[in-house]
Amino acid sequence: MSAEIGPTGSITYLEAISAALQDAMRDDDRVFLLGEDIGAFGGAFGVTTGLLDEFGEARVMDTPIAEEGFVGAAIGAAWMGERPVVELQFADFITCAFDPIVTVAAKTHWRSGQSIPITIRCPTGGGVRGGPFHSGSPEGWFVGTAGLKIVCPGTVEDAYGLLRAAIDDPDPVLYFEHKRLYRTLRADAPPTGHRTPIGPAAIARAGDDATVVTYGSGVSTALAAAALVDGDVEIVDLRTIWPLDEQTILTSIEKTSRVLVLQEASRSTGAAGVILSLIARRSFEHLDAPPALHAPPDTPVPFAPELEDGYMPSVESTAAALDQLLAY
Amino acid sequence: MPIEPCAEAPSVNADERVELFRLVLLQRLFEDRVMALYRQGRVPGSVYTGRGQEAVAAGAGLALCPDDVVAPLNRELACHFARGATTADVFRNFFGKATSPTFGRDGNMHFGAPAQGVFPLVSMLGDLVPLVAGAALAFKRRGERRVAMTFLGEGAFSVGDTHEGLNLAAVWQVPAVFVIQSNRYSYSTPVARQMVNTNIAQRIYGGWSIPAERVDGTDALAVLDTVRAAVERARNGNGPQAVEALSVRMHGHAAHDDARYMPDGMREEFAERFDPVERLAARLALDGFDSHAIQGMRDAALAEVDAGLAEAEQAPAPDPATLENGVYAAPPS
Repeated sequence: MSAEIGPTGSITYLEAISAALQDAMRDDDRVFLLGEDIGAFGGAFGVTTGLLDEFGEARVMDTPIAEEGFVGAAIGAAWMGERPVVELQFADFITCAFDPIVTVAAKTHWRSGQSIPITIRCPTGGGVRGGPFHSGSPEGWFVGTAGLKIVCPGTVEDAYGLLRAAIDDPDPVLYFEHKRLYRTLRADAPPTGHRTPIGPAAIARAGDDATVVTYGSGVSTALAAAALVDGDVEIVDLRTIWPLDEQTILTSIEKTSRVLVLQEASRSTGAAGVILSLIARRSFEHLDAPPALHAPPDTPVPFAPELEDGYMPSVESTAAALDQLLAY
Repeated sequence: MPIEPCAEAPSVNADERVELFRLVLLQRLFEDRVMALYRQGRVPGSVYTGRGQEAVAAGAGLALCPDDVVAPLNRELACHFARGATTADVFRNFFGKATSPTFGRDGNMHFGAPAQGVFPLVSMLGDLVPLVAGAALAFKRRGERRVAMTFLGEGAFSVGDTHEGLNLAAVWQVPAVFVIQSNRYSYSTPVARQMVNTNIAQRIYGGWSIPAERVDGTDALAVLDTVRAAVERARNGNGPQAVEALSVRMHGHAAHDDARYMPDGMREEFAERFDPVERLAARLALDGFDSHAIQGMRDAALAEVDAGLAEAEQAPAPDPATLENGVYAAPPS
């Protein structure tokens, strides 16, 4: 794994995640990994490849197929001051672990003062022909849940930096890593030890004419779409989608007066609801056009390439949505 | 039928017997008092008691060492007292005071004490089983000779999470102890409508090879003796352990529940012979404590309840302006 990172100075999003795990484990003995097939096999996507060899079975633990159980157990270890990092094989399987996340991890600090420093990695998203059970973007079920933090890296740097920050964090963090970006996104390796703070959004592209508020896979889609439209588009990469960095969104809209929310989660889930609610309440006086939403329809993610390609926001469909917004 | 004294248990010394009696009395007298306060409209929400199950809470609670951790449920008040909670702490939680263990954010038996290794109760049954498996995993990883315990009723034995947690504890061979409160009812549903094989100890051993014993859950000495042995086996590296304590829930599920679904006279007949508080009192009498000494212990426990109540009533109410404090240990910047 390290060999792949070094020579070219350029790594993939997936390699950035692997490096973050490796560096966190080297820095802190409390960090250990639990998940299905993450040891000898290296995980369904290869994110943990090589970690068993370096750190051994006590720190890279293959679990039975029991998401509710091993997430619950990770919370118990976190209660005792460990820093467990759970890999869900697919983000979709988070349904099986909903209860310990929402009931136990999220509420414990508020009602007892006991912090639960757990990180749950969720390989998320479509575009990989995974069908309805292996392509979902389930982050919306957790947006608005007090006590949870939700991060969705859209760049290589943040894939590394948000994971390091999540593992450091004393609160439960859901880390949604996008499967389609694993091997398609490349960039220079961030410096070892880099942290992307949990909370603040980033301006991925500065512009004056319209704002795109997005996260995860939407960041690269929006950047490509912005290059196609006749207008100077600002892109807000939320990075942390809960709690929301309200001020960065509001400041950008104050400048551009037009906003498009872009997400891969179906239109009535994801983070769009809380973002648009914020805009309706706080940006009303600044808007020159109705806030727009570009997101898939309210269906599960379909399998057939024709269906899935039509379902996903593409660079072209995003550019078209931006054109419409700019022309209003 | 006369009351049946607790069986002789040589491993439980005289001081421990007196402490067990204090713990079962505190639970009984506290719960009687808080139920009366509830009837008077002085306690919001509801009241859950462990009437009939005090010996399990006391015996298992006393079986732990100070560095061990535990996740009690709602019928284990004596376990909280064994871990150092005061009657004032618990009254404050029932009243929802600002200085309650949950800062007024949760009520009645939903509380813990992180500093004393007590995880705050979660209502969703089964959740605490993998939780303590994970806490025990932390001990094993660090080579610490500590034990993590939880309680679950036979009702929780129908929840998938319970089975996942027992399996993880067994596969990982971690120092976790599971105390099953078989009290014959989950809310109103009798055990025969919950499961076919009602011998939970047998199922735990047969299903996961976790050593599991049955014990008379109304005999505080037997509970302490059996659970302590299980705790020490876990501590000594023998993997997870289970104890199924048999008892009868002598009250409805909660204050509002008159238990009309239980056969007439069942609770009364049970109490007459197996009331765990009186069984222990009878044992102490056999041990040579005279009635004056035993009455003194009852009076002392009642005084502890009275004092806790008086203290808790003076505690300040929580301020709604503080509600959003502490949602996060580290609020996002």
